[in-house]
Amino acid sequence: MDSIDKNAHRADENVVISARGLGFRRGERWIFRGLDLTVRKGEFIALVGPSGAGKTTLLSCLCGLLQPQEGEVWVRPNAVANPQQPRACRRHFGIIFQSLNLISNADLLTNVQCGRLGRYGFLRTLLGFPGNERCEAYQLLADLGVGADPYKWVSEMSGGEQQRVAIARALFQSPALYFADEPVSNLDTYYAGRVLGLLRQQASQLGRSVCCVLHDPSLISRWADRTIALHPDDPGAWRIRDVRPQARELQGAGL
Amino acid sequence: MSDSHQQDKSRPTPSAPTPRPLLPTLPARPWYERLNALNMTLLIFLLAVVFSGFFVSGSGRSVNVIENLSRFAQDFFPPDWSVLDRTAAALLETVVIAILATFFAIIVSLVLAVGAAQNLAPSWVVISIRMILNMIRTVPSLIWAVIAVVAVGANAVAGVIALTFYSIGYLGKFFSESFESMNMDVARSLRGIGADPLQAFQYGIWPHARPMIWSHSIWMLEYNIRSASIIGYVGAGGLGLQLHAYQEYGQYDRFATVLICILVVVTSLDFLSEWIRRRIKRRTDRNLSH
Repeated sequence: MDSIDKNAHRADENVVISARGLGFRRGERWIFRGLDLTVRKGEFIALVGPSGAGKTTLLSCLCGLLQPQEGEVWVRPNAVANPQQPRACRRHFGIIFQSLNLISNADLLTNVQCGRLGRYGFLRTLLGFPGNERCEAYQLLADLGVGADPYKWVSEMSGGEQQRVAIARALFQSPALYFADEPVSNLDTYYAGRVLGLLRQQASQLGRSVCCVLHDPSLISRWADRTIALHPDDPGAWRIRDVRPQARELQGAGL
Repeated sequence: MSDSHQQDKSRPTPSAPTPRPLLPTLPARPWYERLNALNMTLLIFLLAVVFSGFFVSGSGRSVNVIENLSRFAQDFFPPDWSVLDRTAAALLETVVIAILATFFAIIVSLVLAVGAAQNLAPSWVVISIRMILNMIRTVPSLIWAVIAVVAVGANAVAGVIALTFYSIGYLGKFFSESFESMNMDVARSLRGIGADPLQAFQYGIWPHARPMIWSHSIWMLEYNIRSASIIGYVGAGGLGLQLHAYQEYGQYDRFATVLICILVVVTSLDFLSEWIRRRIKRRTDRNLSH
């Protein structure tokens, strides 16, 4: 499936991320090497593997936060655009970081609205965000169960609540591509399902794509289309597996 | 029967009790690894203290320290409150000079500090701005006051100019150190989702730096009130002129009144800054407390 040549991928409008021969090295040690991955519109890809296997590194390479030593990644955030370097279209990436990276000394609403910084210029956001979007941000906070007091500081919230604020920031951004690094690690079963359900919905209904580091096998089989598993010791032993082959075929036909 | 049943459920139990496993031997740490920058600094400082001790010596004569001091201190008491109204007017001028100088210094320093922070600016900018800040800090406040008096004459404006320059040297350094101590992850992550560098600074660094910036600024204001009472010695306005006159004429009881007034202002500022710091700390630490 990944053996189709590069030009065919460039022509295929449904391909949003294409990684070819990707290799990343820390010091002398290769984390992964020769990795090929194609992400299509509306797909939910789960990155799996034991701790230290390089899931976060791979995610960072795909979204342009790290530069791979080998191979190339290109991204097409919308169907009309030409394939681009990941760094060139950052504002189309919604990233949920493992360490959340929220502004702890600012209120929840501001944090969520920071998701759209890429849409506006510096002068537009110098004195605050567009007021008409505040309700939208508040709605997302309420949906995720953290809307009780939107003017609280992030530092006043618990770990699980902060994680939901980070997810709300990514959803508020409504990007073409979601990159989520263990987005449900601090959440209970109810909110884990809710968050992944929302991401799944973004993929299936709005044709966006999700790359998500996940550990829980039951969550993976429930929400993901495909998994890419990394091996902690062998950089070349990555493999891609279809979780829901039937569902994927249907989607492929539909899109 | 029950015994064998339990054995079936659990993992196969060894027939003989196994000896306690030995603790792994901890790899030895080479001695030179302890000589990190922090320990070396402490070591060098202690050496410097020992050597400095040999270089300092008094006049060699036997002096009655207690008597000298008590005679000097007696002159200060009781304070002469008759000059209170005159002092209050000069004190107001001193505070006004300090407030204006601190305000201008904060604005200039914020711009300079961004350029002097290694994590925000390219290194050639950092080096040149730090050089400028060092040069500003080299000049004592009294010399700045002399320069300003030469430039604009002996008045309060000279005081504002002098203390503005003096404060920039310190605030620029403090602010840039605040920015450098910030965690860059938030700013970097905002850049990662498309924010431009100025937005990343405003939303990713400024909220975290703000408490430290205000804390340094209030400290500078307090410092400037003390400085502003000295620069009057060379005619740059404020309490200094009065202090100078009382000292010249040996009117230490009046001198004491002025000192007490400065003490009151400085102490209340100290309380204010402490209150602000505690408020901010309580809000950021609430998560840890429950």
